[in-house]
Amino acid sequence: MDPIKFTLNGKEFVTAKGRTVIQAAADVGILIPYYCYHPKLSIAGNCRMCLVEIEKMPKLQIACNTLVTDGMSVLTGSPKVLTARKAVMEFLLVNHPLDCPICDQAGECWLQDYYMKHDLSASRFTEKKEHDRKREIFGPNVVFDGERCIKCTRCVRFLQEVTHTNELTVLHRGDHSTIALFPDTALDNPLSANVNDICPVGALTDRDFRFKVRVWYLNKTPSICPGCSTGCNISVETYQNRIARFKPRINEAVNSHWLCDEGRYCFHELTAGPRLRTPMIRQEGGLVPTAWEQALREVVNGLSGAPAPLAAVLSGRNTNEEAYLFRKLIEAIPAQASLEVFYQERPLTEVQKILMSPDRSPNFRGARDMGVSSNIGFDSLMDRLLSGSFASAYVVGEDLIGSSDEPEKTREALAKLAFFIVQDVRLSETAKLAHIVLPATHFGEKDGTYTNRKGRLQKLNAALIAPEEALHDSEIFARLLDQLGKPVSLAPGEIFAAIADEIPAYNGLSYAAIGDQGVEVGGGAGHS
Amino acid sequence: MEKVLLRNIDVADSHTLAVYQSRGGYRAWEKVLRTMTPAKLIEEVKESGLRGRGGAGFPTGMKWSFVPKDNPKPKYLICNADESEPGTFKDRLIIERDPHAIIEGTLIAAYAIQSHTAFIYIRGEFAFGAAMLERAVAEATEAGYIGENILGSGYDLDLIVHRGAGAYICGEETALLSSLEGSRGWPKLKPPFPATHGLFGCPTVVNNVETLAALPWIIDRGAAAYAAMGTEKSKGTKLFSVSGHIAKPGVYEVEMGYPFKKFLEADCGGVPHGRKLKGVIPGGASMPVLRADEIEKVNLDYESVQAAGSLLGSGGVIVMDESTCMVRAAWNIARFFAHESCGQCSPCREGCHWMEKVFHRIEQGRGEAGDLDLILNVSGNIMGNTICPFGDAAAMPAAAFIKKYGDEFEEHIRRKKCTVGDGASVSSSEFLVSS
Repeated sequence: MDPIKFTLNGKEFVTAKGRTVIQAAADVGILIPYYCYHPKLSIAGNCRMCLVEIEKMPKLQIACNTLVTDGMSVLTGSPKVLTARKAVMEFLLVNHPLDCPICDQAGECWLQDYYMKHDLSASRFTEKKEHDRKREIFGPNVVFDGERCIKCTRCVRFLQEVTHTNELTVLHRGDHSTIALFPDTALDNPLSANVNDICPVGALTDRDFRFKVRVWYLNKTPSICPGCSTGCNISVETYQNRIARFKPRINEAVNSHWLCDEGRYCFHELTAGPRLRTPMIRQEGGLVPTAWEQALREVVNGLSGAPAPLAAVLSGRNTNEEAYLFRKLIEAIPAQASLEVFYQERPLTEVQKILMSPDRSPNFRGARDMGVSSNIGFDSLMDRLLSGSFASAYVVGEDLIGSSDEPEKTREALAKLAFFIVQDVRLSETAKLAHIVLPATHFGEKDGTYTNRKGRLQKLNAALIAPEEALHDSEIFARLLDQLGKPVSLAPGEIFAAIADEIPAYNGLSYAAIGDQGVEVGGGAGHS
Repeated sequence: MEKVLLRNIDVADSHTLAVYQSRGGYRAWEKVLRTMTPAKLIEEVKESGLRGRGGAGFPTGMKWSFVPKDNPKPKYLICNADESEPGTFKDRLIIERDPHAIIEGTLIAAYAIQSHTAFIYIRGEFAFGAAMLERAVAEATEAGYIGENILGSGYDLDLIVHRGAGAYICGEETALLSSLEGSRGWPKLKPPFPATHGLFGCPTVVNNVETLAALPWIIDRGAAAYAAMGTEKSKGTKLFSVSGHIAKPGVYEVEMGYPFKKFLEADCGGVPHGRKLKGVIPGGASMPVLRADEIEKVNLDYESVQAAGSLLGSGGVIVMDESTCMVRAAWNIARFFAHESCGQCSPCREGCHWMEKVFHRIEQGRGEAGDLDLILNVSGNIMGNTICPFGDAAAMPAAAFIKKYGDEFEEHIRRKKCTVGDGASVSSSEFLVSS
C-alpha cells in the first residue's frame, strides 16, 4: 500500500490509501463522533456529526465520506467544528422527546453520551415538538419509537446490505420523515435483533430485554455464544446472577459485529427451569437425594462393573477441558464403550447461513479434537441405543428424549438400560429415567475453551455463580478419575496445558494467550 | 438583441416539428453529426461561454469535459426539467411552446459526451408539458433525429421522457438521479460526482432546460455570435420569469448585463397602483432578497447580482411592493422549504421546520425578543453543513429577510401584529407559492 502522510490537529501521521478521515483518525486513537456511520454499512453521511475542518476546503466536510489525501490537514476540534457539532446535537434533539427516564436505551444512548460531551446546553427550541408513532411492534424482537429516531438509517441499511431482507424504509419528508415497515411485512428475519444493537438511540429496542434492568446495573462478561458451532463472540450481560441479555462482541474472524436471534435468545432455554441442586440415586419409588460422596462412589462402582457395552454421550456445549477429562474417564473404565458428542443438523435458509451453523453444538469440533468420538458418529450411536445394543449409558448435558425425533422410542430404550447415569443442570425427561443423576453447571457458569466449526479456539468465561450444590462437569470427571486412581488437575488452565501437550493440533497453544479474540488451532485438527 | 431562447414561441404551432424545422430547427443537430467531433463540439460550447442556467452558473462545456472518455460504462445525459423553484417558470414556457429546441439541445449535449441514452426528467405537475415533450420526441424519432444510426451517421441515441412525482428536491441533480433510478428522491453524497458516478453509477451530465435550449442556436450561429452578447464573464442571454407586484409579469429574455432597474421599470412596466418597490428576489425563492435601494446599480448577470449580495439563481424575479409584510413573506418561503426538505440530513430536516415555526409565531403576533437572533443562528448552523444545496437554499432567504428588514421584524414582534401599511395587509403576499 502507498503510505499517505496527513496532519491531524497539527500532528503528522501516516495512513494507507483509501482510508477515510474517520478511519484514519480512529487508527491513531482520535475518535470523531458519529451516528449514521457504521464500519460494516455503506456511507450515508446524513447525521453530519462527523463534520471536520480540512485545510483549503471552504466548507466543513464529513469525515466518514472524505478520503485522506497526501498532505491533507484535518482539524477535528477547531472552533468551527465544535460549533457545527454542537449545532447538530441541538438539531437532533429538536423533536426528540427527551424521555430518558422511561427510555430503555438510557445509559447506552449516543444522544446522551454526545450531549454530555459536545453540547451540554439548554434547548433553545420552545416550539411544539412533532409527534410520531410510539411503541410500534416491528417484529418479534424489535419495537419502534418514532419520536426518538434520528433517521440515521442504520437499520434500513443493515436490512438492505447485510440480510438483504429489506423490511424497513424511510417514509415522508422533512421532520415528518420516519422509519416504517413495508406494508404486510414484519421485521422477522434470523438476524432481526441486530437492528436494536446498531440503533444508536432508543428508537429500536429489544422486546425481550427492555424494561428488565437498567443497563448500568449489568455485569458484562466476554464469552462465546453457546447456540451453535459458529462460536459468535458475545458479551454475557447479567443482573443479580441471571443472564439479562447477550450482546454481540466484535470479532472479524468470526461474527463481525453481529449475532443471530436464535443465539441471542438461546440462554432462556439453556438456563430455564428449576435447577438440580443435589445428586440423586434411584431407589424404590424414584430418585432420592443423596450426598456427592455416595453418588460418585455409586458411579465408580457402576462404571467399573458396568454391563457392557456402554454408550457415553457428551454435550456439544461441554468445553474442551471437560471433553478431554470425559475421554480420559471413559478410557479409565474397563467396560467396552462407545463415546460420541451430541450432534444434530437442521437445514438453514440463506439468511440463517450468514451466521448460523447447521448444528447446535458449539464445541462439536473441539470435543472431537479431544478424542470424544469412537468414530461411529452420534446418529449411529443413537440408532444402536434405540435398537438395544447398549446395556448401560452415561449422558452428559443433553436431553436425548427431548431432542429426539422419536421421543417415545428413545424413552423405551433408555428405560431398559441396566445402568444409566445422567449429568445435567435440570431434571430433564431423560434424567428422570436415570439411576444416578448428577447436578452440573451450564455454559454461563464455567470457564474453559470452545473450538468452533472452523477451528478457532475461543474462551468461555463464567458470568454467573453456580448453585452451591452443583459441580462443574470437569470437577465431576476429575473426582471420578481420582477415585479410579488417575488424579488430574481441576483448573481449566492446567487441563488446557495437558491438552496442548497431548493433542497435536493444540501443540504450542497457551490458555492465557487465547485472549478475547481467540486463536486458530493447528491445521488438520478437524475430524469432520 | 436577437432572441436565442424565445425565438420561436410566438409563432403559431411552434411546438410542432414542421414549424420548428421551417425556422431552422435540427440544422444544428445535422451540423454536429456531419461535421463535428465530440471534442470539437465541447470546445465550441466552451468558447460560447454558456453557463448552466439551473442556478449555479457552471460553465457547460467544462462540465461536459469532466466526463471520462475511457470509462467503459454507459454515459447518460439528463435534461433537468424539474422546474419547481417558487417564482421560476421560464423552462415551462420552452417546454410547452418550443419542445423541439430542448430535444435538439439534449441530442447535441448527449453527442458531446457520447451518451446513447438520454432522459428528460420533467416535473410531475407539468402534465401538459410532459405530453408536449412526448409528442415532440415521437415526431423527432419518426423524422430520424432520434434512434439508431441517426441521419446515417452511425450514432445511436435513445431519448426518454420521465415524469417526476412532485418533490421539489428532485430538481437537485443527485436527488434527480436517485428518483430516476427508482429510489426515494434523496440527494447523494459528493464525492463521487455525477460526471464519474451518476445515474446507476455511470458517468452522467445533468443540464437545465434553458441551457440545452440555447445549444441549437449556438451551434447554428457559432460560439462567437453567442459570446458577443452579454458581459465578460456572463455570456449570451438569460430568461427571467417575473412575478409579484409588477405591471407585466411573464417570461423575458434579456441580454446578460442588462440593468436590473431598467428591466423592472421599462420592460416589466414597474410596480403598479402607484406603490413603491420594497424588495425583490432576483433568482427564485432560495436566493437572498434585495432591498429597493440595493438594486439601483445592479445588472442582470452572475457577477453583478452576486456583488449586490444575492445570486442570479434561476432568474425567478419576485417583486414585492411596499404593501408586502416581509414577515409573512419570509414565513411563506420558510414554510415552502420546511415542507420540501427531504429529511435526509439532520440540520436541514430539523432546522428548516424550526425556522418555519419561529417565523410563523412572529407572524401570528407571538414573537419574542431573541427570536431573530435565533433564526439567524439556526440558519447559520444549516448553511454549508448539509448534504445538498437545499440547506443553503432554505437558510439564505431566511437570514436575508431578517438582515434586510430587521426593523420591520422587530416592530412585528414588539407590537405583536403586522405593522405594514394600515396593518391589515395580512394576505398581501399570498402571491407567493403556498405549500
